[in-house]
Amino acid sequence: MIRISPRSSLLLALGAAACLAALAAVPWLAGNYWMRILTNVMMYCVVAQGLNVIVGFAGYHAFGNAAFFGIGAYALGVSEVLGLGFLPSIPVAAAVSALIAALVGWPLLRLRGHYFAIATVALTMAVSELVTNIGGITGGAQGLALPLDTSQSPEQVYRQIYFLMFGLAVLSTLVVWHLSGSRLGYALRALKDSERGAMAMGIDTRRAKVAAWAISAALTGAAGAIWAHWMTFIEVSSAFDITLSVKGYIMMLIGGMGTIFGPLLGAAFFEFFSTLIWSRFTEVHNLVLGVLVCVVVLALPFGIWQPLRRLWHDRQGRGA
Amino acid sequence: MILQTIINGLLIGGIYGLATIGFSMVWGVMGIINLAHGAYIMLGAYIAYVVSARLGIEPFLVVPLAMALLFVLGYLIQAWMLNRVLKTSLLLSLALTFGINLILVDLMVIGFTSDFQAVTTRYAAAALEWGDAFVPAARLGACLFALVLAWIFHEYLARTRSGQAILAAALDREVSRLMGINPSRVYALTAGAGAALAGAAGVLSSMIFPVSPHMGNSFLGAVFVITVLGGIGSLGGAILAGFVYGLIQSFASAWLGVNYQEVVAFTVFLLILIFRPQGLLGKKYFGEGQ
Repeated sequence: MIRISPRSSLLLALGAAACLAALAAVPWLAGNYWMRILTNVMMYCVVAQGLNVIVGFAGYHAFGNAAFFGIGAYALGVSEVLGLGFLPSIPVAAAVSALIAALVGWPLLRLRGHYFAIATVALTMAVSELVTNIGGITGGAQGLALPLDTSQSPEQVYRQIYFLMFGLAVLSTLVVWHLSGSRLGYALRALKDSERGAMAMGIDTRRAKVAAWAISAALTGAAGAIWAHWMTFIEVSSAFDITLSVKGYIMMLIGGMGTIFGPLLGAAFFEFFSTLIWSRFTEVHNLVLGVLVCVVVLALPFGIWQPLRRLWHDRQGRGA
Repeated sequence: MILQTIINGLLIGGIYGLATIGFSMVWGVMGIINLAHGAYIMLGAYIAYVVSARLGIEPFLVVPLAMALLFVLGYLIQAWMLNRVLKTSLLLSLALTFGINLILVDLMVIGFTSDFQAVTTRYAAAALEWGDAFVPAARLGACLFALVLAWIFHEYLARTRSGQAILAAALDREVSRLMGINPSRVYALTAGAGAALAGAAGVLSSMIFPVSPHMGNSFLGAVFVITVLGGIGSLGGAILAGFVYGLIQSFASAWLGVNYQEVVAFTVFLLILIFRPQGLLGKKYFGEGQ
């Protein structure tokens, strides 16, 4: 842990509060365009934090968290179609995602390293094929249109979605923060270093891993749920998009995994850049994005958080 | 009907096997999951398209050229980029190869647009008849060529000094270093050879499948499953699993319909991961990156 002096912790708290206040004022200060971009950034913050729990803490490289994003999206869709409103459907979607993660996590979390990583990718593909072939209430290959809420103007709906994503991003960061100091957090870090060692210390490693994946899935599923309401129409190919997992993963890497604020920084950095690139170079945006990823990985292999932290430390050292 | 399904599956399976060897070796030797492997296959197909469809040269003769060009590309990417990342964190290689894949695919979109292209041969319509089943000549030739290349690569690994070094690094990275093997060079060599085989598979598949910048992505899915099925880092396993995968795919599409082709493939995949994670011919946790 970094030891922070009272003065700088006050500064830090003030800075965080200013950031939050500025973000809360966005719908009134900036136009719809920026609100949409920021909603996207917030969504990726949640996805990256969700990955942080299972990858950064437990060291299990879940590449297929898009499965839970899609499950959350479809759970919300089905729940809305069945008549449960938007807001009550979000916790339902999160719970469904967490439950499925716990069920499949029981066998899959036995696999180690790469094997687990690929199994999660296979899980995403299997679930998406399943949803397509079930048809019926999921809409199958035709996609699922969510009931439109006509009591609110589109303006209000977008604002509501922005604040929900924003709130969820804050919540997921609080979850990670709490986790980093909790019993479960220590257990996960212990089993990341050595699973056998953790077992010898009396940690029920399987329960800890399953719990971590369920938390990760609940956060990702809630993000998927809000996203589904935002889109109003969901399809298997967009809800279970594996690039979401890969992007979230890269964001977490850029920010620094296992840290509390790193994934947020990574998500903001990556999503802003890719939006900028997307608007400037429509034709070659993937090319520029690829170059950006390569440069970041080669130049900042430990993420952008570590150098910043070192800078902070140096300043602290000089001040003392 | 069943005979035809078997023939179709086996003919495609040979190319799948060749396409997988490089991916599987790179994974086995360095623990890198190369997400740009599909792009290497795609580049091979485009080399065939440019040289063969535009200049009218026999596609089979393009294979050495494609292999040479892709060897250089794979070698340089490994030596300049991936080797640097390997020293820090293995999993960064995933992000890096994801980025390389984006670059390569987009470069081809810029150069050749996203349209589908075709490489047609003089014997495209020719087929051998066997009872009531047909064996298309181009597919048969491509499959046999793939097997010959796999056999040559096997001989290279078994009989040459550098081939032995690659095998040693795959078996035990730390001990191979003690034996005086320079890891950076072996890694670059493995990556180059893997890319060259992918390029050859690309040329062969250009005679069968439409060529487009995004063709690598669907290949990558198949290559993933086949690698795990055959056992990571196992050459024989990759070829055997290539045939098994080809058969699974062709039976699934014949009996259940083309839509179910992938459901069945991924079901098999998950079952293998749970019940036999080391694959058909692999050793347990062989090629595990950490």
